Amino acid sequence: MPARPIRRRRYRSVPIGRILLLGFFVIFVIVPLYWVFNTSIKPSSDYLAIPPVWFPDEPTIVHYTAALFTYRGLEGLINSIIISSAATVLSALFGTLMAYSLSRYNTGGQHLSFWVLSQRFLPPIAIILPIFLIYRSIGIYDTHLGMILAYTVFTLPVSVWMMFAYFRQMPRSMEEAALVDGCTRWRAFWTVAVPLAAPGIVAAAVFAFIACWTEFFFALLLTSKNAFTLPTVFRSFLSFQGAQYGEAAALSIVSLGPSIALGVLAQRHLVRGLTLGAVRG
Amino acid sequence: MSETNVIRRLEAAGLPPQLSRFGEWADRHFKWVLVAPAVLLILALSIYPLVYSLVVSFINFDFQVPGHAFVGFKNFERVIADPVARWSLVLTAFLSFSSVAIEFILGFAVAMTMMRSFPGRGLIMSILIVPLFISPVIVGQTFTLLLQRPFGPTNYVLSALLGNEVTISWLTESPYIYFSLILADVWQWTPFMFVILLAGLTAIPPNLYEAAELDGVGPWQVFWSITVPHLGPMILLAITFRLLDAIRLFDTIFIMTGGGPGTSTYTASYYLYTIGFTQFHLSQATAGSWLFLIFTALVVVFLVRRLLKAETN
Repeated sequence: MPARPIRRRRYRSVPIGRILLLGFFVIFVIVPLYWVFNTSIKPSSDYLAIPPVWFPDEPTIVHYTAALFTYRGLEGLINSIIISSAATVLSALFGTLMAYSLSRYNTGGQHLSFWVLSQRFLPPIAIILPIFLIYRSIGIYDTHLGMILAYTVFTLPVSVWMMFAYFRQMPRSMEEAALVDGCTRWRAFWTVAVPLAAPGIVAAAVFAFIACWTEFFFALLLTSKNAFTLPTVFRSFLSFQGAQYGEAAALSIVSLGPSIALGVLAQRHLVRGLTLGAVRG
Repeated sequence: MSETNVIRRLEAAGLPPQLSRFGEWADRHFKWVLVAPAVLLILALSIYPLVYSLVVSFINFDFQVPGHAFVGFKNFERVIADPVARWSLVLTAFLSFSSVAIEFILGFAVAMTMMRSFPGRGLIMSILIVPLFISPVIVGQTFTLLLQRPFGPTNYVLSALLGNEVTISWLTESPYIYFSLILADVWQWTPFMFVILLAGLTAIPPNLYEAAELDGVGPWQVFWSITVPHLGPMILLAITFRLLDAIRLFDTIFIMTGGGPGTSTYTASYYLYTIGFTQFHLSQATAGSWLFLIFTALVVVFLVRRLLKAETN
């Protein structure tokens, strides 16, 4: 939970306006998701029914099998799992290393940390064309390796800044004690600071994973037939709009699962994740 | 602890003898060894491409024109002279400002309703943050399913509510197309505003409100004299972060409209993408992306830097 509720005496008995607003907003969030789910299990014969079918009588899984096998959704799913997991591990690892150095040794002063931060706001369109040309010339276009590297760089600013904020609020006394006892700096970091920072590292990794899992732009332009990720599979439904609604909806549902599950589990850290650690939730 | 202090203490304690030569070297340059992997990756895949693209933008690098001659500012001039480019910039500004404004107002209002605890608050919280974890492509696909004629239920529901037949082509007809794009953005990112503003609201000391209540201050005055001033930095941060992401708008355009009809929904990113990746005017695309980059860099340098300084100190 990002924020603790305030307990206060209420001075109005039933806040009707608030209930209406909140109710309206909850419905606004849920209805589109329900319609996608509904479309994914609805037989194609119900698509154009008037009135629209909200509860299909004969739910079907044909759209799921078609999306996964005919439209290569399964390959996209596997690629997404491989690329997102590897990039997450690298990003969390390199991000933690750098954040520790920034927070404990003030490496590079404010310039280095701000330089990393500014990468978070770099419009991808500004670097994608050269990356595309470079990838083609060194032969990692449309490979897992190329995507893993791109996603590691893409998520590093968030990992570094989330961990930077985490280390800053973590007391140094344990590491200092380890150093006094004759540990090398590396051992003080690896055996003392990292275990203490484990919850923060997990949170940073979760947000890195979600960012990779939902990313579209790099995947669209750096992959084609081999290392394509799940979001790019939606391209194949574009040219046939009209017939493939069920498949698109089924693939959406498949893709939603992991990132929503992780996000809701990590919601305690959501505010820090969204603001790069600037705001403590 | 300062760095020299650490070294002095280490020496006083005696460095463990089993350190190899590499280990010794790594320990001496410890802070730089730690930042090296991240910095090298960013240099290789972000800074080098930026320099590369700057070079490309001053030469002729066009799959339709042979040779790589130096052409000075010609590529930049071509982008600036292109009416589609100027339109895409205007549209990007319009779409991002309207979306962010709506998201802010709606997010703020919802955050106010969630300030106090009530039964089911945790569940509602979990539901409201779900859109943040969905790929924008899927959000675009979702709203296509809802809005596209004749499949989507939107026109049917509106007809039933309004009592007369509604036949709007939400995805191909101006101005509804802009409404649809803003709607998708608002659906996905209002929770962003809501989550950050709620964190800000709950961080305001409750005794301020209690004091105001005892003094008989009205709810509006409480809002303007306690809530807004305390929330100020948080509001600025939320809006800046959201704006910097909103101006990149690409994914929902790609899925929902493909830039159409015609070029009427070309955003800056989508315009540069078509120039570079479908027409292969690489130099023009890199020149345009540098102009776009300078535009955003100004915001980052002046606003984000100040914001984070204020927040972190």
